[in-house]
Amino acid sequence: MPAEAMVLTAVGARGPKSLPAGRGRMVSQALNRADDSQLIREAQRGDRAAFEELVRQYDRAVLRLALHLTGSDSDAQDIYQEAFLKAYRNLASFRFECSFYTWIYRIVTNLCLDHIRKRQVRKEDSAVNTDSEGQEYSVIDQVSDARAHANPEHDLMRRELGSKIQNALGKLTPRERMVFELKHYQGLKLRTIGEMLNTTEETAKNTLFRATQKLRASLAPMR
Amino acid sequence: MNCEWVKENAALYIYEELGDDQRHELEQHLERCAACKQEIAAARDFKMTMSALPMDEPSPNLLAASRMKLQEALETATQSHGWSRFAFDLAGWLQQVRLSPALTVALLIFGFAAGTMTTYSYLHRQGKGGVLGGTTRPAPTEAASIADIRGIVQDPGSNSVQIKYDRLVPDQTQGSLDDPAIQQLLLFAARNNTNPGNRISAVNLLSQNPQDSKVREALIYALRYDKNVDVRLTSLEALKPFVREDVRVRDAMLEALLGDANPGVRVQALGVIKSVRQDASVRAVLMQLAEKDANAFIKNESKRMLAQTPEMD
Repeated sequence: MPAEAMVLTAVGARGPKSLPAGRGRMVSQALNRADDSQLIREAQRGDRAAFEELVRQYDRAVLRLALHLTGSDSDAQDIYQEAFLKAYRNLASFRFECSFYTWIYRIVTNLCLDHIRKRQVRKEDSAVNTDSEGQEYSVIDQVSDARAHANPEHDLMRRELGSKIQNALGKLTPRERMVFELKHYQGLKLRTIGEMLNTTEETAKNTLFRATQKLRASLAPMR
Repeated sequence: MNCEWVKENAALYIYEELGDDQRHELEQHLERCAACKQEIAAARDFKMTMSALPMDEPSPNLLAASRMKLQEALETATQSHGWSRFAFDLAGWLQQVRLSPALTVALLIFGFAAGTMTTYSYLHRQGKGGVLGGTTRPAPTEAASIADIRGIVQDPGSNSVQIKYDRLVPDQTQGSLDDPAIQQLLLFAARNNTNPGNRISAVNLLSQNPQDSKVREALIYALRYDKNVDVRLTSLEALKPFVREDVRVRDAMLEALLGDANPGVRVQALGVIKSVRQDASVRAVLMQLAEKDANAFIKNESKRMLAQTPEMD
């Protein structure tokens, strides 16, 4: 499977329902890539509708990543907005050297890295965040369980676990956090992650190793 | 391959990042090494534990709100081209200035001082009977164009008088609908006229040429923001044929369907989006309406449309 098709398959950039990689899907993704090139060229000529069509193809995946990394609707929305505006403004510099997907994800990951760095500096990496209406909520509440109503004790345990995972993730460096996020939660290949973070696959491997070691050490007492 | 290597590559193994040969070798090693087998089991445990933090999909509301906000921002955004990298970035510079209070204050003081000096020098030259001859030449006016006199001030010790007045020049023009001047006036009327009757007329006339991008933008604007329901309905009708091809039209329809104060407009919008109900964002909106919309007709109709929409992979 071509690398780009694998990326798209893994992340389900076309919509919420991701994954099983069938042949039909691969063919349709190859066609989508062709569509992308056409859309990018039209957008580069100033066709805004073409750009908006491109946005539609990738924005759900972008928002999902930003939401998981920030834990906040409003922060995720800000990153979404800034990423696509940046892409629009700099579209002329897109030279088809990588897929549009990799390019937009590179922009998003950089913005997310900045966000994580600022948050670490502000020492605000607490379990409290704000939603789009400015209301505070606990990220622990995000850890839900469909069987919660049937078993409150189980739900409590899951919340505690979620809280500990958040704390452990908070102890990683921004780059370790990003590599782990893209690998574990987004299911991307390390080669693609390296491309997105402007580094080599080897460095991404080492970063993943360090991240998992740290996380295992942080979570060891509870397991 | 030794145990140290397995320990260092356990993460790559559980995340399926090892090459076929290395994976095969590692699995062979596991067959005969209990300690490494335990290490891999612990790594798998860790992976499962980390999955307790769910990867939630963004809600349809958040996605729709983000798209709309982006669309509004794109209205004013411009693409940079190669040469613009060398041009002066005024907005960026202003942003920097905003973040540097001391520099801002210094610039303000400099600007004020320079302005004062220039005025002083100009008046000084005027007083000496310089090039401008001591009086400001009055602007050419026609009596019919003066709406009101707002103030008259005479400079002490001179015959110079300053008059502030408003001009009002009613005018009319005539031409074919294709005439750019007529189009421009109609576009102006569609957005700005305080008289809803004029806006309806303008939107009606513009809707004869919805292929034009400026016209379509004006129609979308009217559908989204016009306070008069008839204007919104007229725009909606004119935009109907473009819901498939133009994503902005689709978004405006969804916005009207979700948030228009008038149920008639919402019902019309629902009818229009029927043809694109397989679009992911349309389906998300329909699901939301089918679940909890206060309007029983819209709720039931959304359910019916969803039931008729085949699931997409």
